[in-house]
Amino acid sequence: MRVEDVVCTFCGCLCDDLVIETDGKKIVGVENGCTLANEKFMGDHRLKSPIRREGDRWSEVSLNDAIREAAEILLDADRPLLYGWSGTHGEAQSVGVHLAEILGGVIDNTSTVCHGPSIMAIQEVGHPGCTLGQVKNRADVVLYWGANPIEAHPRHLSRYTTYADGFFVKNSFRERKLVVVDVRETESAALADEFVRIEPGGDYAVLSALRAIVRGRGEVITGPVAGVSREQLVRVADLCMKAKFGAIFFGLGLTMSPGKNKNIRNAIELTEELNRHTKFTISPMRGHWNVYGSNEVFCWITGYPYAVDFARGIAFYNPGETTSVDILRREECDACLVVASDPGAHFPRACAEHLARIPTIQIDPHVNATTHLCRLQIPVAVTGIDAEGTAYRMDGVPIRTRKLFDGDHPSDTEILERIYAIVKEAKGA
Amino acid sequence: MTFVLITGRTIVQGSYVERKSHPDYHVEASALHMNPVDMLEHDLEEGSTVLVSSDAGKVVLQARPSTLLQRGELFVCLGPYANHLVGPGTRGTGMPDFKTTAVTIEPTDDPVPGVAELMRRCGGVPYEG
Repeated sequence: MRVEDVVCTFCGCLCDDLVIETDGKKIVGVENGCTLANEKFMGDHRLKSPIRREGDRWSEVSLNDAIREAAEILLDADRPLLYGWSGTHGEAQSVGVHLAEILGGVIDNTSTVCHGPSIMAIQEVGHPGCTLGQVKNRADVVLYWGANPIEAHPRHLSRYTTYADGFFVKNSFRERKLVVVDVRETESAALADEFVRIEPGGDYAVLSALRAIVRGRGEVITGPVAGVSREQLVRVADLCMKAKFGAIFFGLGLTMSPGKNKNIRNAIELTEELNRHTKFTISPMRGHWNVYGSNEVFCWITGYPYAVDFARGIAFYNPGETTSVDILRREECDACLVVASDPGAHFPRACAEHLARIPTIQIDPHVNATTHLCRLQIPVAVTGIDAEGTAYRMDGVPIRTRKLFDGDHPSDTEILERIYAIVKEAKGA
Repeated sequence: MTFVLITGRTIVQGSYVERKSHPDYHVEASALHMNPVDMLEHDLEEGSTVLVSSDAGKVVLQARPSTLLQRGELFVCLGPYANHLVGPGTRGTGMPDFKTTAVTIEPTDDPVPGVAELMRRCGGVPYEG
């Protein structure tokens, strides 16, 4: 069967123009997808049944027993951590937040190690953003700062920027100027009209220098700043000020580098300065396909976008204290539920060591690094293939993902609702 | 000599994100991208095994030349290998220093461990199923 307008559930672009050919419960063809999408849809490497570890031995376990054991582990814990959530649909995320509340635990999503600092900055100074459609149709200057879309968001350039003709930008490749700012001369940098190479850790200083120039105080810049010549800084600032509509997209090169949230605040305030001259916007390049959705869902229910601690009986949020890496580093949590992410691979080693010490449960379709650390894993359907639900694109636009066929596994929502029901009954809530 | 370790996304790493037991993921995630001049100075060739050490830990990686990097910079794609070197401190932000870890390198004859072996060293039990 041929299914059109399929939504790709890999990165934050949520491309919604894929054409998928299915043969029963197998995907046999993908059109319009990037390399990442092709691997996502054509790959079939699911864990077949729930597994549990007792001592050094792994064995298969029934779904009912796995769900019961997962609930018991969470009920026994004094300070459970519920982590992940960015690789599943909003409906499952919602159940996860309610589960954290009834347990009095901490719930955190993968923003904590991607754009958490961006959210902290946005909470300080706001977010002058826009939808990707606005960028496509209007932007004549685009900056990628600390982002490498060719490798991380392969169709971002062809759908929204350099290679995407728009309503007011008829010949995008010629009319749209591309600036890439990075510490490495990446493949994305190779496409740029202007590549700005910054010394590692120099982003804050370069942003401040650009702000000074845009503010009309360029004379305070007397020489190179973090490896960037004064001439290039003036050239880039002029290019931005002369734009009809400019768009900055920033990645983890800003959020993970020294300064972190203050880098983003500075970038937002540069955008504010540029708006004294022209129209400029700034947007994070969100990684997981529904990480934005996890922020939305957490906010609706708790008022906070990630790192939400229910230990006090109310929602409490304090990055640096209630964030997963800090909780694991302090060896604070005594059980962990991992849903749709892989902290074993993507958290520092000290955190992985604590995940191995405590009873860790994973709900994920695939064997990943966290599998080796956990006590119990429950495989689920893959949203966008054999499960469906709501996701949020990197610009905050909600998009309904589609189920292509009925698979052999339950969805995240179904598993989490069953765990929640057991916990609710035990709590007498 | 102290190097600055940068971690980040690669398209190969992304392609294998749901197949972390695959040998190609192991090769990509354990690749230590280095400026070719730095490799020459440290008597390393493509594929040489290198013991990389930071304040947080040590791991053996395989050298791979990269002209995208300046001298003194190293790149390892995000994943369990890079995270054996990145410390868990977050400076009150929740975010570790994934882009600026200070590391040293030395040639070694030790093999590059697999992903399951890395997790075993963290206290896990490899699942081979």
